[in-house]
Amino acid sequence: MVLADLGRKINNALRSLSNATIINEEVLQSMLSEICRALLEADVNIRLVKKLRENVRSAIDFDEMASGLNKRKMIQSSVFRELVKLVDPGVKAWQPTKGKPNVIMFVGLQGSGKTTTCTKLAYYYQRKNWKTCLICADTFRAGAFDQLKQNATKARIPFYGSYTEADPVVIAAEGVDKFKDENFEIIIVDTSGRHKQEDSLFEEMLQVYNAVNPDNVIFVMDASIGQACEAQAKAFKEKVDVASVIVTKLDGHAKGGGALSAVAATQSPIIFIGTGEHIDDFEMFKTQPFVKKLLNMGDIEGLIDK
Amino acid sequence: LFGMFRSLVGSKALTKEALQPVLDTMSDHLIGKNVAADIASKMCESVATKLEGKVLGTFSTIAYAVKQSLNESLVQILTPKRRVDILRDVLEAQRSARPYVVTFCGVNGVGKSTNLAKICFWLMENGFRVMIAACDTFRAGAVEQLRTHVARLNALHPPSKNNGISQVHLYEKGYGKDAAGIAMQAIYAARDQRYDVVLVDTAGRMQDNEPLMRALAKLISVNSPDLVLFVGEALVGNEAVDQLVKFNQALADHSNSQEPRIIDGIVLTKFDTIDDKVGAAISMTYITGQPIVFVGIGQSYPDLRSLNPKAVVQALLK
Ligand SMILES: Nc1nc2c(ncn2[C@@H]2O[C@H](COP(=O)(O)OP(=O)(O)OP(=O)(O)O)[C@@H](O)[C@H]2O)c(=O)[nH]1
Ligand SMILES: Nc1nc2c(ncn2[C@@H]2O[C@H](COP(=O)(O)OP(=O)(O)OP(=O)(O)O)[C@@H](O)[C@H]2O)c(=O)[nH]1
Ligand SMILES: [Mg+2]
Ligand SMILES: [Mg+2]
Repeated sequence: MVLADLGRKINNALRSLSNATIINEEVLQSMLSEICRALLEADVNIRLVKKLRENVRSAIDFDEMASGLNKRKMIQSSVFRELVKLVDPGVKAWQPTKGKPNVIMFVGLQGSGKTTTCTKLAYYYQRKNWKTCLICADTFRAGAFDQLKQNATKARIPFYGSYTEADPVVIAAEGVDKFKDENFEIIIVDTSGRHKQEDSLFEEMLQVYNAVNPDNVIFVMDASIGQACEAQAKAFKEKVDVASVIVTKLDGHAKGGGALSAVAATQSPIIFIGTGEHIDDFEMFKTQPFVKKLLNMGDIEGLIDK
Repeated sequence: LFGMFRSLVGSKALTKEALQPVLDTMSDHLIGKNVAADIASKMCESVATKLEGKVLGTFSTIAYAVKQSLNESLVQILTPKRRVDILRDVLEAQRSARPYVVTFCGVNGVGKSTNLAKICFWLMENGFRVMIAACDTFRAGAVEQLRTHVARLNALHPPSKNNGISQVHLYEKGYGKDAAGIAMQAIYAARDQRYDVVLVDTAGRMQDNEPLMRALAKLISVNSPDLVLFVGEALVGNEAVDQLVKFNQALADHSNSQEPRIIDGIVLTKFDTIDDKVGAAISMTYITGQPIVFVGIGQSYPDLRSLNPKAVVQALLK
């Protein structure tokens, strides 16, 4: 993850504060430049980076601060507060309820990893003894139903879909009805990839949303995405009520900083991350412990809210 | 007052100090348009080198000079040094009675299979017969995805209108098999059955996954295709650089041949999803020096274009 990888660079930057004999505007600016550079190289949205810089800057008033020690602490905790804001939208992650149907709808850009992640999530709940199933409401992508079917069969997860029905809204509604009747607890609906520029695709997403009335909408993001993420994430959030984010393909070199703007844009927490193509390459993501872990790194310990 | 006036009209030579604030703004602007951070700084540095010591003409501002200079560099980066002329090369292969072979590679989910199908459609529209080799034997549904495309493409160019001869064929051996071997068999079959082109689909892979990168290098060195296309999506940020560097590196490192094949050209996909954040085009061409051969602008067969460097640069500098 982006912040974990940034830890070293941020630490270095902060250390420059400890090494400086006097802490002034120049020292602060050069430290901020270093941090911002690292964030930009990790694809964090440039607007968010600029805001972070401004917020830290305006939190520090050199005239009012007395001792060097105090200045250091103020700057460091201000930097961390801003970094934490990037990953933590401050809302609790959605949790399913046992013994009742929980409908989860997957949405996202083309190729982001929705279909693969659907099965991973289903498998995750199935192993925890939830009665789990999958619905393929993607009638657009060639081979979409085969893909879901093969994944589900391998993981022994009941699934629903059609080779002949062309309307994803019909399939989604039928599938959810069927599985609700059969008392399934986790009902996962996979949808086609889409983008904000194509109105008809967004309209279709809304129709599926209205037809299945999901308890949780998950926005799936590829970790390699750059600056285009924010506008797309905003558009998805405006159309359907996105409540969770999953970042995929974190097994590669990508830091996933671009995907973080989806957290800000949708005000939703990251709930899982994908770390490979196999069904168990999947890790739960908990914002608070992640942030805590980050803060416990070496020099950083105990910097915040003391 | 006159002092300020002079810094704009400037009979004085441009200094690094005068340029720096403008360049910083420009660099941020490029990053905002999704150019990789490192490449944005390098571009601005080269503009600085070009402009430093130059005397500005009357009524010209530093910002204008920087923009002009950057415009030139960007157009130059995007303008292919080498033309990839697939149709001409297919005809030439035809004359030596062998199929022209194209391999598609790239990381997961970028649009390899879909754009392979679009390129197949374009070749068929140009009167060529195409064999598609299903060498993604890993990802669920990968074979059926291609089978669906082949059925649709055959419906668009039915054998009934071509003396009963099918214009596109899927060569597949199901899942779990060795991709390099399937590609080789497909190429043999295409030669025997007089197909003009073989399009080889491969599984998506992460650039750091050594076993998978090795397997790709093997597929390419064993089959020596005429064209190796790297498929990258316009959505990608700083990773564009790492992907291309490492795909090239792996192809070079794991090849058995004296002159290893590396990437010959780029397919830039999902260009319809990024508005004016067109920076990935710059990152990819800057790193490889290779041309963007096709641009994908949608999910249906005709959604394939060639790159217009001037339009891309205009969007970048806007
Ligand atoms: N390395 C890696 N690959 C992944 C991960 N998640 C998904 N993929 C791969 O990414 C590619 C695209 O995944 P899909 O699940 O088909 O993506 P999608 O969002 O359903 O695609 P569309 O339905 O076409 O929009 C496939 O090759 C997957 O195997 C991951 O965490 N790591
Ligand atoms: N909007 C848009 N979508 C595209 C474009 N090209 C491909 N796609 C979509 O991207 C998704 C993934 O495409 P695939 O062709 O399956 O990608 P791939 O690289 O073969 O994926 P793997 O084989 O799983 O690695 C599909 O939903 C495609 O329809 C494009 O130019 N524009
Ligand atoms: Mg899918
Ligand atoms: Mg594919």
